[in-house]
Amino acid sequence: MLSPERLALPDYEYLAQRHVLTYMEDAVCQLLENKEDISQYGIARFFTEYFNSVCQGTHILFREFSFIQATPHNRASFLRAFWRCFRTVGKNGDLLTMREYHCLLQLLCPDFPLELTQKAARIVLMDDAMDCLMSFSDFLFAFQIQFYYSEFLESVAAIYQDLLSGKNPNTVIVPTSSSGQHRQRPTLGEASVLEGVEASLFYQCLENLCDRHKYSCPPPALVKEVLSNVQRLTFYGFLVALSKHHGINQALGALPDKGDLMHDPAMDEALERLLVQIPGLVNSVTASPEASCLPSRTPPRVGSPWRPLHHARKLDAESDGSTEETDESET
Amino acid sequence: MVTPSGCSGDDPVRSLTLRGSGASEADAAGLLGRSPAMIPGKYRSVSGRAASNVNCGLHLVIQTSSLPEKNKVEFKLNKETPSFPGRLLQHDLERNYSSRQGDHINLVSSSMPSFPILQRSSEEKILYSDRLTLERQKLTVCPVIDGEEHLRLLNFQHNFITRIQNISNLQRLIFLDLYDNQIEEISGLSTLRSLRVLLLGKNRIKKISNLENLKNLDVLDLHGNQITKIENVSHLCDLRVLNLARNLLSHVDNLNGLDSLTELNLRHNQITFVRDVDNLPCLQRLFLSFNNISTFESVCCLADSTSLSDITFDGNPIAQESWYKHTVLQNMMQLRQLDMKRVTEEERRMASVVAKKEEEKKRESQKQSLLKEKKRLTINNVARRWDLQQHRISNIAADQDGRDSDSPSQDPCQNAGSTVSAFQEETGSLDSGLTSALQGLSVTDTHLVEVDGDTLSLYGSGALECLDRNWSVQTAGMVTTVSFTFIEFDEIVQVLPKLKLKFPNSLHLKFKETNLVMLQQFNALAQLRRVDQLTVDPQGNPVVNFILWKYYVLFRLSHFSMQKINGTEVTQNDMIMAERLFGILAHVASSELPPYRLISVLGDARKKQFQCLLETKGRKPGIVSEENDNSKRLAGENTNRAALHYTTRDLYHEKLEEIKEKKKFCKMYIEDLVKEATEINMKNEALQKLWPQMFIELVRDAVIEVRNKNSYMKLCLQHITDQK
Repeated sequence: MLSPERLALPDYEYLAQRHVLTYMEDAVCQLLENKEDISQYGIARFFTEYFNSVCQGTHILFREFSFIQATPHNRASFLRAFWRCFRTVGKNGDLLTMREYHCLLQLLCPDFPLELTQKAARIVLMDDAMDCLMSFSDFLFAFQIQFYYSEFLESVAAIYQDLLSGKNPNTVIVPTSSSGQHRQRPTLGEASVLEGVEASLFYQCLENLCDRHKYSCPPPALVKEVLSNVQRLTFYGFLVALSKHHGINQALGALPDKGDLMHDPAMDEALERLLVQIPGLVNSVTASPEASCLPSRTPPRVGSPWRPLHHARKLDAESDGSTEETDESET
Repeated sequence: MVTPSGCSGDDPVRSLTLRGSGASEADAAGLLGRSPAMIPGKYRSVSGRAASNVNCGLHLVIQTSSLPEKNKVEFKLNKETPSFPGRLLQHDLERNYSSRQGDHINLVSSSMPSFPILQRSSEEKILYSDRLTLERQKLTVCPVIDGEEHLRLLNFQHNFITRIQNISNLQRLIFLDLYDNQIEEISGLSTLRSLRVLLLGKNRIKKISNLENLKNLDVLDLHGNQITKIENVSHLCDLRVLNLARNLLSHVDNLNGLDSLTELNLRHNQITFVRDVDNLPCLQRLFLSFNNISTFESVCCLADSTSLSDITFDGNPIAQESWYKHTVLQNMMQLRQLDMKRVTEEERRMASVVAKKEEEKKRESQKQSLLKEKKRLTINNVARRWDLQQHRISNIAADQDGRDSDSPSQDPCQNAGSTVSAFQEETGSLDSGLTSALQGLSVTDTHLVEVDGDTLSLYGSGALECLDRNWSVQTAGMVTTVSFTFIEFDEIVQVLPKLKLKFPNSLHLKFKETNLVMLQQFNALAQLRRVDQLTVDPQGNPVVNFILWKYYVLFRLSHFSMQKINGTEVTQNDMIMAERLFGILAHVASSELPPYRLISVLGDARKKQFQCLLETKGRKPGIVSEENDNSKRLAGENTNRAALHYTTRDLYHEKLEEIKEKKKFCKMYIEDLVKEATEINMKNEALQKLWPQMFIELVRDAVIEVRNKNSYMKLCLQHITDQK
């Protein structure tokens, strides 16, 4: 019952650190919000339901963004909810634009900021092709990294910039990468050998960051794994590698493996039940599950696959080859 | 002076006064048949008794042979010269008429080969000193008339004369009758300055000419010729009767200068239009029967004539029109007879009523076109403002513009709104409506409301206010299509409940330039009663570019069973697809949302339905799911979708602010609670730590106390006694 950490901290700090206070506050807040309704069926019942829903991860549905991003658990719950609700969109094989994904996000969280979606899309797409189409899985995994680790990634971006410009945030002298080309994402043609920063040095800095970072960050061992096999890498290369790393996905625990992304039998069953309920459509439901296809867009803009090619190859080599190109089949 | 006596009002025979050249006034009289259709074709002049008329002037009794005595018209001619019982012949101007007796005249062939010379016996000369009748004498030329300079009336009817000649010496001639000859040109009259009556009917004249010197002409009869044009008559300022019937006229104009004209006969021509009639100050009778007039516009100058009292149009295409009578009567208020029928008061009233209606119609159409123009301008203006608003152009000029148009727009807008849209509030008089519409044109309006058939169109956010107005039941019931243009969708959302209330039959919603950007915005439409069709114009609605929007609409608004989206029929496959894509979302929303959230998310209306559900859920968590499903089906709208609702951005921000406040309070509250709890916990822990030692000490003390049994017993007894 009492973990060692429990003894190391004063009670209050412990509760705060574990976000228990957040949930207690939110529970009271919700109680206030719906006090008339709740008073009719019991406050004890309400608290039971509240904490049950927190455990199940359903407490974030349709909540405001400030709450959704308040705790790692909330973020993971949101990611999971997003996946569960819109898996069917991905299953249908549609490629959507950033704005469309944003719309879907807003269906679950009305004030979801566009900025985050844009950042996630930037991991998938080139800077200059922001209105390209993305597959559901590409977007989802990129979004996962961006959303779950957003504070961590901001720090990483700062470190990366410092490294690029020759400063060492850890006061370690960096001998390389003073080329003065500070472009974050050079295009294919300009990609030079000296693009990006040196991986080992980058890792040092990140390890340091992970140690003192109060927000959640990916397990340092996995970060090391990502960075260990390459000499140099760019910031976005790093993000892509993170988003494609199944270990990190597992550690995060919100989404299934990429291979199982379209697999959710419980929900499929629920969906079939719903389909049967559509009035007058009972017969045709089972007949044409694959026949229905969304209308094709007039200008077929398909997003560029992941990174500049050499990056992709490098990264694929590092991360046990489980990652594939964007348009992997959903079956 | 001519005194028409015994001329009853019904008698169509009209009197003419020929003014004399001398000191005395009238000295001749003519009669013109007014209508051959009604009046027997011939009038016979009956000679007066010579005896009674010798010195007191000419007493003429003119009698139509077939009419009773009361139709007699008497004329007195005051003459210096000994008057004679003349036979003034009058004939129907358009018809041939029966023969009559010729005078006993001897035409003696002269020595000259071509011209016969007329000779009268002196006896006859004395008897009829001032008149000479050469009727039906088979003359091919005018005879030379010598020694008859005092002749005043000359009659050549029914001969074969081809040319007017040999009469230039008869300078006192007043009356010249050349009816039914073969004259091709008017000529040889230049010396006959006294001529008052010139009858040239039934000849072969092609052109009106050579009348320059006949300034005193009173009656000019040119009927039955081949004249194509009215010309060379403008100097005839004394002319009172002009007969141009049965000619080849194609139109009427050049009537200037005929200041005395009272009767103009133009029957049986090919006239298509009439002009200049309003320049005839004395015209009373105008006969246009049997012509080719087909519109009132082609004779509209008649309306400007103040003197015209009698007109005929029969036999024209115009007379066949349904509007003919009332149009003519309305435009010519001074008319007393139309097509020979007396105009009654009743007819006049009818005509004015009909005309008023038409006037109104005309004004209405004018107003409509004005309003149309105004609508166009307003829409342009609204569009400009919308653009400004959308792109947030902080152009000073534009800003100024916007401010300017803000204040004055209110009134004309209301005005436009009411006149265009609801016919139930008619704006006072038509005139004021027109002027206000005109004023409205200059004002730049900020919004427009229009009802066109079954469509209610709203332009600009201000137009939403019209939903507060009291619409007539009829209008409201008729509207099935509501179209929004240049209005923020969020603003529309706020009035949707009103829309639902005021226009219960609206089935088709159209959105254009409404800033629809998110799928969740469609959630707002779910609160309406029914939506059969939805049209979202891609213009100004980025959401339409999303391939999923249609499916989301179908999914979210599935309870409406929509027929069409953007004009395309909704198919079963679409429905299945929509469900496949978003069904899980609905499922998650309904089955996984914690119950306390579900109530708050659903509106008040649904709360009741859920009350019982929640109660059962609270008490018997085991069998929740079944009842849950049941009550869900009871609700009209798919309740699993109800959780997907839309709060407008402003409201949402308000809500967030509210939540922030609450959070602040909760944070403090929890903090206090937790601090208290942790303190208690700490004390408890400290106690727990001390307790074992304390317990041992307590036990030890107790043991020590009871170790010496005797002394302890004594002590106890002591206590007891002390208590007593």
